[in-house]
Amino acid sequence: MSGAAALEVRRITVSYGARPVLWDVDATFPEGSLSAIVGPNGAGKSTLLRAALGLIPVDSGQSLISGHPARAALDHVAYVPQREAVDWDFPITVGEVVAMGRYRSTGWFRRVGRADHAIAEAALDRVGMAAYGDRQIGQLSGGQRQRVFFARALAQETPLLVMDEPFAGIDARTQASLLELLGELRDEGRSIVIVHHELATVRERFDWALLLNVRAIACGPAADALAPEMLARAYGTGAEALQWAG
Amino acid sequence: MNDDLVIIVTAGLAATACGLLGPFLVLRRAALLSDAVSHAVLPGIVATWLLFQTRAPLAVIIGGAVFAVLCVLAIDGLRSTGLVRSDAAIGLVFPLLFALGVLGVTRYASGIHLDLDSTIYGEIAFAPFDVWNVAGIEVARSVAIIGTIAALNLVFVVLAWKELKATTFDPGFAQTIGLRPQLLSRVMLIAVAITAVTAFESVGAILVVTLLIVPGATAYLLTDRLALMVALAVGIGWLSAVAGYWGAVAGDSSIAGTMGLVCALCFALALLVSPKYGLVATALRRRRRSAATATALAAER
Amino acid sequence: MGWLIDLIPLSYTDAVVVIGAAILGLTSGVLGSFAVLRERSLVGDAIAHAALPGVCIAFLLTGAKDAGSLIVGAAFAGIAAAVLMVAIEHTSRIRPDAAIGVVLSCFFSLGIVLLTYIASQNDASQAGLEKYLFGQAAGLLERDLVVMAALAGASLLVVVAGFRILKVALFDSDFAASLGLPVRILDIAMTLLLVVAVVIGVRMVGAILMVAMLISPVVAARQLTHRLRTLLPLAGVLGAAIGIAGALLATGSELPTGPVVVVVGFCVALAAVLFSPGRGALWRARHVAAERRRAAFEGVLLEVETAMHAGPPPTTEELRLATGRPRAQLATTLRSLERAGLLDRDGAEHRLRLTEAGAAAAHELEQRRDLWAAWLEHGSSLDLPDAREPDPRDVRASLGDDAADRLQELATT
Repeated sequence: MSGAAALEVRRITVSYGARPVLWDVDATFPEGSLSAIVGPNGAGKSTLLRAALGLIPVDSGQSLISGHPARAALDHVAYVPQREAVDWDFPITVGEVVAMGRYRSTGWFRRVGRADHAIAEAALDRVGMAAYGDRQIGQLSGGQRQRVFFARALAQETPLLVMDEPFAGIDARTQASLLELLGELRDEGRSIVIVHHELATVRERFDWALLLNVRAIACGPAADALAPEMLARAYGTGAEALQWAG
Repeated sequence: MNDDLVIIVTAGLAATACGLLGPFLVLRRAALLSDAVSHAVLPGIVATWLLFQTRAPLAVIIGGAVFAVLCVLAIDGLRSTGLVRSDAAIGLVFPLLFALGVLGVTRYASGIHLDLDSTIYGEIAFAPFDVWNVAGIEVARSVAIIGTIAALNLVFVVLAWKELKATTFDPGFAQTIGLRPQLLSRVMLIAVAITAVTAFESVGAILVVTLLIVPGATAYLLTDRLALMVALAVGIGWLSAVAGYWGAVAGDSSIAGTMGLVCALCFALALLVSPKYGLVATALRRRRRSAATATALAAER
Repeated sequence: MGWLIDLIPLSYTDAVVVIGAAILGLTSGVLGSFAVLRERSLVGDAIAHAALPGVCIAFLLTGAKDAGSLIVGAAFAGIAAAVLMVAIEHTSRIRPDAAIGVVLSCFFSLGIVLLTYIASQNDASQAGLEKYLFGQAAGLLERDLVVMAALAGASLLVVVAGFRILKVALFDSDFAASLGLPVRILDIAMTLLLVVAVVIGVRMVGAILMVAMLISPVVAARQLTHRLRTLLPLAGVLGAAIGIAGALLATGSELPTGPVVVVVGFCVALAAVLFSPGRGALWRARHVAAERRRAAFEGVLLEVETAMHAGPPPTTEELRLATGRPRAQLATTLRSLERAGLLDRDGAEHRLRLTEAGAAAAHELEQRRDLWAAWLEHGSSLDLPDAREPDPRDVRASLGDDAADRLQELATT
């Protein structure tokens, strides 16, 4: 593992209104690994991602991407936010959405070039959606839509991928194949951080985990971070949570 | 150019300028900003008169543009507090500016016949009588001014096409790739403000509002391609310019009003018979589907 | 109505205008809630613009400028516009804002065409139809007041009678549908209530300004209360107050009533948005700044403590390098720590050292964090009277001493 972590947050505090959503959170996500952020609802998982990328103001703390301040290093990150906000009626095709992944490298006011279109098409092919480039995005199923946003992130060709609940409400087949894809990407040397809620999957498939509930409860190799006593600290000692973790 | 042609070209160029921006307003759910901006022009005219004692078109356009931009920024500011929804912010700001304009007229400018009606209905019929001499060629002033704005809008939309598309479709993502959605949205609204101010001066406020909203909404019912949507919006605008003019001449009626009605007619047609999203098509699809389900159920039995 | 006019120490015409403005403000405040809370604030704008063709048609049919028939015309056009808007929104992919815009421009274009037609037909009698565009409070008569009051009373009665149903439909239309309520009809009903408000007001403030009357009292009231039950009456009262204040100001300065009322309304709404306690923009900005200062204060306190445990007391520069905090933030925070008596600077190098009070404060802070950790782990086995949840930074204050002690006990065993 080379020197700097892929993503590191130091003492991040964020509050909406009176209460802190995140309170002095410290966490590191090592390079070249598949990491998950895990925690109960309202633990601040999405907020942590957005704060780490500098997309929302923080009360205090800082965040580093490969050792550089996050704001200056955003071109190293592809971020896939939760999808509720998207306007599925928008007159735009799947191909156009994926091509957006090349916009940063294309630069302001320039057309997307042939090489960039080729990269976008390859990304679409990699998620198994090559045949759908001309469809309007609203015509896709939920799983297919998520594949498109994966493809857009792939097309960005960044060393770090950050995704917020990418498998929420997604069918099992899509989840399995996208998880496999994430594994391949990790093997290619990319770093991946996703918010995920299935503890079992995280234990089996992920290298690293952050257990979060307003404060960072545990951060380390997935098996250690999700040990039963740690889970109790995040979810409470209720039998239900532990069973669920089973 | 003969007079008919000048009027049609003026309206058509206004339709081009508006049609290039209108679809983005419709997609951003900000269609009514156009209404707000066109009303905010009035205090601009009054202030220009009070400060410089002039009603020269260029001065009025600049004065109006200042207030229109002010209007857009005030709406943005109110909305960004998170306490007022954007629709309520619009409805708070533009009546205020319009009220200030009316108060200015009644208090300080009642002597000068600042014609409120003509700012709203427009005086497109007078377009041919005001001619500029550009390098020895006589050009109707309205054609020159609106033509310039239409050209500027075209340059803006073509240049910033992918940026407009990305920030309109997915502002959150656009922000992460460094596209500055808020800045771009302000620039676009300022373009809308300047377009509205310039166009209202020759075609009237109501036609500007109509041209910014209705062709874009009509095109939205007809296509799933953004580029086609913009092209259709411009085309529908030209159609209503031509048809509206001849209709108005035939019926001896208001030109701006008739053009607006043709736009409305286009919208109604699209709403009914658009092949993809029209009421007829949707109803047919639904009936076919329920018929298919019925036969499938019957076959199962 | 006569006694009320006599009661007001103003000339007859002024008194009529003030009463009219009060009635208008009251109704538009209450009924405007059905526009603003459904995020359809500008529906009123479209309905008001629709009054123009309505008035023209009424004039063409009756051939006279009789106030009664013109109001009926405006009302019918408003209803047509309202139904069209709801229909476009429900049957197609067009969004509310575009639906409002399409209906508005369509009706207004029609109005202009009709107006030019009328102008070409006869000479003088049509002059004054534009009053409906800009409003003219001065021409208001006692008879108009009676009509306004009757319409206002009837619509407010409908709101009171249907309050519970309207409340559900306003709050969550999907839930309302699941209860079997006719959502679409309620949608139209609420829009029709707006038509009533517009018809009452359009003569007085004009079509263009009417929309503000529906919005500003509601926006102001929304900042002051979270409950619909208090929101509606409050918006009504604020609306009436805006109307009266505006009308008095206008008559005092000989300005047209409508625009003055609108300016007053905007000022009231803006003041509420800025200064409302606990919610206003300025209040929140101050709160956020205080929160940031507090986070920095506690953070630096702990950082100094950690540094002192790790080695010799740090200098400011060493602390800055170790924590990565911005220079300015660190300097101000250290100063306020010093002022609070929690921090000392030692010797020639100004090394930072916690005072006894500082060490105690840091210790207490650690304890508070442990308490939060204890809550997360053992909160489920705690007996609490209700579903309360603690503020992570001060579990003790938000749960009470008993619960906090119990938590500590659970955590140590």
